[in-house]
Amino acid sequence: MFRFGAIAAGGLALSACAGPLSALQPEGPAARGIGTLWWVMLAAGTAIFLVVASVLMLAFVRPAWLRRFGEARLILWGGLVVPLVILSGLVTAALALGERVLVVGRGEALRIEAVARQWTWRFRYPGGYETDDLLHLPAGRDVDIVLTSEDVIHGFWVPRLGGKLDAIPGHVNVIRLRADRPGTYGGVCAEYCGIGHAPMRFSVEAHEPDAFARIVGPSDDTRQDTAPDGEGGQ
Amino acid sequence: MRPRSILLLGAGFTVWAAAFVALYAMLSVGCRFGWHEIALGSLGGVSLQRLQLAAIFLVHLAAGAAVVAVLRRWKDRGFLYTLAYFAAVAALGASVFSFAGIFFLSTCQ
Ligand SMILES: [Cu+2]
Repeated sequence: MFRFGAIAAGGLALSACAGPLSALQPEGPAARGIGTLWWVMLAAGTAIFLVVASVLMLAFVRPAWLRRFGEARLILWGGLVVPLVILSGLVTAALALGERVLVVGRGEALRIEAVARQWTWRFRYPGGYETDDLLHLPAGRDVDIVLTSEDVIHGFWVPRLGGKLDAIPGHVNVIRLRADRPGTYGGVCAEYCGIGHAPMRFSVEAHEPDAFARIVGPSDDTRQDTAPDGEGGQ
Repeated sequence: MRPRSILLLGAGFTVWAAAFVALYAMLSVGCRFGWHEIALGSLGGVSLQRLQLAAIFLVHLAAGAAVVAVLRRWKDRGFLYTLAYFAAVAALGASVFSFAGIFFLSTCQ
């Protein structure tokens, strides 16, 4: 029993469930939804594994029981009914949570533009202020990251705040993030984009709203920003 | 027909795969052209996007049903044909299960 506990604890520690890039430590609503889905999938996957392993064990240890259950019934239940019930549940959970992560008809949010190129990220705030490989966010507020690329397809991913979305040249994608509280989170490029892909990381710093305003400057809404906003803008 | 019969095992799921590729491609094309914002008044406000996806889905459903109908007539010619028939039925069920989402899920951001 002790050995089992030690192995389990060691496995958990080694599997890197914590850290700046851990999707299992969500700090915002989008990431929380994805984390919930992950736990649901893990639980269901474990249950399926245990059931299949038990039936396999029975085949060796008590083959008579399985024989009595009958071939046709085993195929009908084990091959059709049970998988269908489990998969339906998982698909329903995935679709419901997926809908909640989308930015569809949920009102306006602060917009920050992100332009990816080999192999760096540039972030532009409403007032025109820019940062490289460092994204400032106001905590507790919805922010739309408006993604595009200057060369090849990159992937924007801040695991502790939300899902990943591609930054595509000639196209604009929008992902909505919200950091519950101030802190520093890790971000990575999640789509292979060339030799410099692996180190194409960035940091996300979430600040109290007034600290955020101090850093990126006033979001001057009266000034006409020259940022190309439409699709295919270059 | 006999030498080619082993290909029939995949007939149903070939239609499923074709539907998958067509829906996946046309979903993105429709979003790019903004078809999800074009509401068709004559159809109770259904968007052009949903309409075209439904059309693709129904065409492939019909094709899958045709495969099932053909294989049903041949299913007593031997084990492979029986298997191909049930695989096609499974593919038809899988099509409804995997693609029915086009009727109620959000299509674009
Ligand atoms: Cu990359």
